[in-house]
Amino acid sequence: MREVPILVVGGGPAGASAAATLAEAGLPVLLSEQRDQLGGAIHRQSAGGTESHVWRPGRHRRNWTALTARLQAAADRVEIRTQTIFLGVDGEGRFLFDDRRSGRVFARQPRAAIIAAGAIETIRPFPGWELPGVMTVGGAQVLLKETGRPPAGPILVAGSGPLLPALSAQLAKAGNPPVAVLERGQPWRMPKAMARLALSGGPIGEAAAYAATLAAHRVPYRCGAVVTCAEPDRDGLKVGIRIGTSEQTLRVRHLLIHDGIEPNRTGIPLPAPDATVPILLAGDGREALGADAARLDGRLAALRLLGRLGRAIAGTAPEEQGLQRARDFQTALARALHSEPIQPAPETVICRCEGRSYADLQDLADDASAREIRLMGRFGLGACQGRFCGPMIAALRGRPLPATSPPRWPLRPVSVAALARLSIDETE
Amino acid sequence: MNGHFFWNGAPVAFRPGETIAAALLRAGVADLGQPHEAPGGRVFCGIGACQGCVVAVANAAPVEACLTPAREGLRLGPLPAIGADHA
Repeated sequence: MREVPILVVGGGPAGASAAATLAEAGLPVLLSEQRDQLGGAIHRQSAGGTESHVWRPGRHRRNWTALTARLQAAADRVEIRTQTIFLGVDGEGRFLFDDRRSGRVFARQPRAAIIAAGAIETIRPFPGWELPGVMTVGGAQVLLKETGRPPAGPILVAGSGPLLPALSAQLAKAGNPPVAVLERGQPWRMPKAMARLALSGGPIGEAAAYAATLAAHRVPYRCGAVVTCAEPDRDGLKVGIRIGTSEQTLRVRHLLIHDGIEPNRTGIPLPAPDATVPILLAGDGREALGADAARLDGRLAALRLLGRLGRAIAGTAPEEQGLQRARDFQTALARALHSEPIQPAPETVICRCEGRSYADLQDLADDASAREIRLMGRFGLGACQGRFCGPMIAALRGRPLPATSPPRWPLRPVSVAALARLSIDETE
Repeated sequence: MNGHFFWNGAPVAFRPGETIAAALLRAGVADLGQPHEAPGGRVFCGIGACQGCVVAVANAAPVEACLTPAREGLRLGPLPAIGADHA
């Protein structure tokens, strides 16, 4: 009988790094990835395998080339299943996957699992964020990397964080610079945080390259600027913006929004120290620190797992130090760009799946339980299961949305036909 | 361009390896329908998390447009209104 594999969920930098590290230690690995190629959002390649012309930092290219070479070298121990969606863990402890290629659900009882499901973007809601034409900055970046082409027509980029200038520079280089970049934060009012940021050893060169690109294309980058509303306008959007105390309206085709990232943890099983099947989280899905840290964190999770399985392991000090550097940088960045939450207008959609508004949320008791929020408020009850409204509700209520326990499967809608063709691994 | 699928019966061209979402957006299709009493579908997060771009597929289960490679001849449309089958 063949050895029971270790499951790695997610083929981004954390998952790929964990899988390579485990396979190099001689263990069989099953690596599942929802897309048709590995890489995650950061290393998304152009569709059809053609050379991508979207500009990106050299170190990301080098890191990914090195990781794929390691996976290649250990190919006899790594089974890669692409277009395979992780559905969760059933009551018997089986990990369920939807293989979209074959239209079949399969179950595995692994020896251990590392879940590297990445991050999701957070947004701060305003009336109209739910309209067609409004997309996340990260979503637009993935599309740009895949197609090599920017969206046609005027683009406005708004929200907060370093992804705003990064994508805006990529759009400019690809031929359609945004009409403006609106950063909610006011970093010049935070001189101490700015000083700490400058000393944090973060990717300052990268930031300078983006700033230079935006300047060369005359893209205004405004701080203390927010989107207040969006409305349909012929085949585009009419977007209300506020810069300081001045209000304006812009007509654009695309509004790209982003206010940071959070670990994608909705429905993800939690690691328990005494579990017979150890589960570890890795990468942005454990702690949202970005791609460089995710690669280190994937390796760290693999080394910790090897230790738990009784293998002698190398020291983990370099990885721990790298993670701490990323954490310091993110903390300084968050302080520099900090802005107080704004209470949205009552009609603002909070739950897009079920069409629930901020007024509906306010109707719930302050101490409403997860069950009440879901069953009475209908928040987090729709197809996304609260992955998007959850962080918004937590921010607006000032405390985390209570999790449903145990996490329920399926994490994603799955066809009954695929479930009916369930195959259970015969190595059990 | 290498192939076509259909959105509401109209042909949409796609390049090899491209997702349904990428092809629809290039064709200018941003609004992916208007289910009953809820905001309409649209590509939003690009990573399968928000479920905003789930589209109906003829003779198959709905899929996230942003995750799913386009295939020749697929017949796609907006998700039916909730409860429409039971009206």
